Amino acid sequence: MARVNILGIACNWSPWCCYNAAGQAGLELPSNFKIMRVMCIGRINQALILRAFEHGADGVILLECEDSDCRYGPGPELGHSNVARVRRLLHYLGIGQKRLKEMTFQADQKQELVDALWEFAGRIEKMGPNPGKPGRERKAS
Amino acid sequence: MKLDSPEIKRIIKERSLYMCLECGKCSASCPRLLTGKEYSPRLLAHKLIAEPGDLAYIQNAVWECLTCGLCEERCPSGVQFSQAILDLRAELSKALGLTGFRAHDGAVHSWMRIMTSPRLEQNRLDWLTPELKVATDGPVAFFTGCVPYFDVFFSNIGVDTLSLSSDAIRLLNFLDIEPVVLGNERCCGHDLLWTGDRDNFAALCRLNYQEFKDHGVEEVITNCPECYQALGTYMPQVIEGFDLKVTLLIDLLEREVNKGGLSFRPLEQKVTYQDPCRLGRGAGRYEEPRNLLKRVPGLELVEMANNRHSAICCGNSSFINCDAFSKRIQAARLDQARDTGAETLVTACPKCMIHTSCALRDPAPGPQAPLKVRGLVSILAEQIEWAQDETPRRKSGAGGGSRGDKI
Ligand code: SF4
Ligand code: SF4
Repeated sequence: MARVNILGIACNWSPWCCYNAAGQAGLELPSNFKIMRVMCIGRINQALILRAFEHGADGVILLECEDSDCRYGPGPELGHSNVARVRRLLHYLGIGQKRLKEMTFQADQKQELVDALWEFAGRIEKMGPNPGKPGRERKAS
Repeated sequence: MKLDSPEIKRIIKERSLYMCLECGKCSASCPRLLTGKEYSPRLLAHKLIAEPGDLAYIQNAVWECLTCGLCEERCPSGVQFSQAILDLRAELSKALGLTGFRAHDGAVHSWMRIMTSPRLEQNRLDWLTPELKVATDGPVAFFTGCVPYFDVFFSNIGVDTLSLSSDAIRLLNFLDIEPVVLGNERCCGHDLLWTGDRDNFAALCRLNYQEFKDHGVEEVITNCPECYQALGTYMPQVIEGFDLKVTLLIDLLEREVNKGGLSFRPLEQKVTYQDPCRLGRGAGRYEEPRNLLKRVPGLELVEMANNRHSAICCGNSSFINCDAFSKRIQAARLDQARDTGAETLVTACPKCMIHTSCALRDPAPGPQAPLKVRGLVSILAEQIEWAQDETPRRKSGAGGGSRGDKI
């Protein structure tokens, strides 16, 4: 099976708690999964996601708090609007919306988070590499 | 590191920087400097020649320029300033990486680079409505460029750059042309080229050229001045044996109008016109868009204080360096537009449309007269009157190209 890269972009609060707790409990994560922490899902703009695909991610999963749990207030609203737009761009590009997934977690859902990552990794492995993947590794720019 | 490699010396020579008299006219014209940015084209020319060790200054300055070409217009010595910047960016990014400050975190450049992947199968034609007659194969293509992407990306500012493409196709259909619109056309690469990324620009050129050839295209019509420059001037330098004809839609329309094949319904409106840098100073089309507007009865075209050769850039180019100084340039430009008393600001470039629409949303110090931004082709498409007894046939057009623009 083709080697694929999965990137998680996690909100610092509930999802990151889950991720930490999963690590402490020794739960196994897919080996092709990397995580990036942002303070809030409202920090996610279209560039972060596009650049992940530009630099070779095959799937991107957004790990968010539930809207009502947001520590900042308008974060989810902003995040959702950015994600909705980037989904449309991914569709136009032919990368497809299925390679971008959004999931919400409460702080005590470590097992749910781990299960979601395995399921997403499995889905992306079946889909294979992202068609916009660069031929060779791109220098960070 | 000292910037005195043979490559840099070649650029200085080829772009006539040695001819600089240090008169300072360029700096006195530069919209960046005039809005207060610490940047001077004269000083950059001086540093490159006399102080190549000042890497910090040079590297900064090379990414500051809007490449608007206004300084070149005024330079008594024929220094090709924006072309020098084009070359220097390519050279510096080879040695030091792409360091220009990219607006929107580089999202725009990101999708442009994603498009260099040969495996991509885009779904970029969702916007085509059934009334627009287009073909999949044939000798004449219409190049849409990134407008479908722009409208999604910039949907928060409510800009409608797609209207430039759909209205262009409407006009072509009026002329009995059913253009090929390619489902897998890539970005023309203008922004990558002008931000120093020549490899990916070349990759886009090769993919687009192959796509044209695969669909039997011999002539490409475009409505975007930047696509026109990229396809008409720079693509032939990348593609060996390039044999496409690249035509600007307004050239074609002007010919048809002059033949008397088209007439327009009246529109009582006062408008002013923003010369896009790549169309005016870049391609020398100052009068063509104005002549077309003047054909619409009732439409009154009033000029801004800076027009034609001395028109001011919309404040941003290739989606780099959008900052407080760009905003000042835009505010000053919008003031000029309002001072004419026009209710509509007409432009012929999707980027001008994006940047002016964005600037129009900025909070203003006091009450401002309302101003709409519209594409030239949209006004024409809406006002056109089709005379049934005449069936104008089009003749061939001219290709792209402007002075000193080898890469
Ligand atoms: S091209 Fe425009 S922005 Fe650049 S130095 Fe000349 S006048 Fe200034
Ligand atoms: S206008 Fe031309 S000659 Fe005068 S300082 Fe600028 S580059 Fe030199």
